Amino acid sequence: MSYNFQFRDVFAQKAAIFDGLVVTLELSAITIGLGFILGTLAAAVLVYGRPWARSSVRIYVEVIRNTPLIVQLFLIFFGLPSIGIRLDVMTASVLALTINLTAYTAEIVRAGFESVPKSQIEAGVSLGLTGPQIFRHVVLLPALRNVYPSLSSQFVLLMLATSIVSQISAADLFHAGSIIQSRTFRDFEVYTVISVLYLCLTLLMRGGFSLLYHLLFRRP
Amino acid sequence: MPFVELKSVVKRYGNNTVLRDVDLAVEKGEIVAIIGRSGSGKSTMLRCINGLEPVQSGQVIVDGVAVHDPKADLRALRARVGIVFQSFNLFPHLTVERNITLGPTIVKGIPASEAAVLAREALRKVGLEEKIHAYADELSGGQQQRVAIARSLAMSPNIMLFDEITSALDPELVGEVLLVLEAMARDGMTMLLVTHEMNFARRVADRVVFMNQGKVWEQGPAKEFFANPQTEELRAFLSAVLH
Amino acid sequence: MIRELAWLDLYYLVLALRWTVVLTLLALAGGSVVGVLVAAGGAAQHVVPRLLAKTYVGLVQGIPLLAWLFIFYFGLSIIGYDLPPLVAATVGFSVYAGAFLGEIWRGALVAIPRTQWEAGTAIGLTYIEQLRHVIIPQAVRIAIPPTVGFLVQLIKNTSLAAVIGFVELTREGQMTTAATFQPFAVYLLVAALYFSLCYPLTRYSRILEGRRRAVR
Repeated sequence: MSYNFQFRDVFAQKAAIFDGLVVTLELSAITIGLGFILGTLAAAVLVYGRPWARSSVRIYVEVIRNTPLIVQLFLIFFGLPSIGIRLDVMTASVLALTINLTAYTAEIVRAGFESVPKSQIEAGVSLGLTGPQIFRHVVLLPALRNVYPSLSSQFVLLMLATSIVSQISAADLFHAGSIIQSRTFRDFEVYTVISVLYLCLTLLMRGGFSLLYHLLFRRP
Repeated sequence: MPFVELKSVVKRYGNNTVLRDVDLAVEKGEIVAIIGRSGSGKSTMLRCINGLEPVQSGQVIVDGVAVHDPKADLRALRARVGIVFQSFNLFPHLTVERNITLGPTIVKGIPASEAAVLAREALRKVGLEEKIHAYADELSGGQQQRVAIARSLAMSPNIMLFDEITSALDPELVGEVLLVLEAMARDGMTMLLVTHEMNFARRVADRVVFMNQGKVWEQGPAKEFFANPQTEELRAFLSAVLH
Repeated sequence: MIRELAWLDLYYLVLALRWTVVLTLLALAGGSVVGVLVAAGGAAQHVVPRLLAKTYVGLVQGIPLLAWLFIFYFGLSIIGYDLPPLVAATVGFSVYAGAFLGEIWRGALVAIPRTQWEAGTAIGLTYIEQLRHVIIPQAVRIAIPPTVGFLVQLIKNTSLAAVIGFVELTREGQMTTAATFQPFAVYLLVAALYFSLCYPLTRYSRILEGRRRAVR
């Protein structure tokens, strides 16, 4: 049943798949870059900020982490226009994904900051370093190193979650599936092929993060 | 004028009064050993001296600076007060060299090349020059502690505080650290050591202070102190410790 | 044709929330069955079950949940069953949850030190008795906080069942939006309803974490 068609739809629709793949990669890269930086900043506020700042970030993190991504996406893409903010599909996607990832990153990195032993901080204080200096030289790298596995897992999860933007018709890899589906009517085969592609992306990302760890944190 | 002065210092942790009315004076160039049971307040007293612990009342004056005055420039003071901890507290993600040059470059603004020279010099004093590019987890406990001492020395402090720095070391590694301390004593450094090493205290210290129940219970010149304990409590402590 | 957003809509949304809960529980049940197998396999002595478990987890976790739902939705209809979305969703979620639960539970099993097994043997317990009286009770205690945490994920994940047409809270929200043209208000309500379900569980999971640390 499927054997011939699988090859046919893959080779015939290579272009659609490729275009979708590129969009997925772009979305993932932008979101991970922004999410990591903003999330680390948010984590710093959660641990070191003034009470009102801490509460605000805490509320933001809890709201995002306790509601589904697809609802957040719909709220941004479909909901904002009714209060005057009209965003195109890609901007809405990046916005929703980034807001989402930042919250999860903040939690993870916060745990990282708190995992640095107090004695390390005391050593920095006793040398005469200021708070920000201690953060930069004593806390930041060890904290990130400690949570590297959680963080890289979260980023891989995000790449997989980008598939949700297909639901607002963003032209990502998953959406390519519905395009090909409408052309070939081979639903099952199409999504199997696309799934395999996601699996490859996952393996590549995991491998990449592993390599990055060795480059950043292992010493010669 | 004493270099370090504690006047009627009282410190509490919640309901627990750790320091009750402590008075202590340390002259420049003096080597003072502080002994006592755990819980007697000796580490806490040391940590009050560089402002790591706040006090509820009384005064701590170091090199003319009132440590707990809100307007005090603690950063500048801490550059002059070196402290070495029981758990070494080296920065694991930095090389030995960077551990040592961090303070001088950032706090004192010394250029990197000069700081590197300082680091080498400090490591030479503790006998670990060849480990300059190593990381903390490549070193033994005794070596890490000596690097911690070098890190404090590189700031050219006027006084060094030692908080039970040999207590966490395997016995065979203690000697190398004590040798470094003896050399520093000979060089005329003002030193305050909280320690369990009684023989070392007797040999090297000028004065020994016995802390008990949060007070300075007894103190005196080293040889006298160990030979003729005046108070009952000190006698009991020494016989328990010097079996 | 466009109607005003009314209290009736809120009522229907809350009713749809029931289906979210139902789907979550079904996924939990199905996922538990799979999860036990994955955990047991992953913690086994023999390399073959370990490899199988690891492959399963890697495969499931390397593919988006949406893709799994579509594969089961379209795949099951090829085999000849024209099943309602609920069944496809349950199967898809069970497969997905099974991998994650299996990993959590495997971690809990593996966290029990070898010495506990040895102590059991020393007092003469059989393998099954050891599992029942010594190992599993401890493993369960370790596993509960992250499992409750995963439950929150599962509730949020059920929102994707909307995409294959199952009418739970998110789908109901889409339909209400279509009828009232008030996406902002509707999706805000939908989010609030999810939050009311998830946040208490998140808090509970944290309390459990804290208690477990205190015991240690």
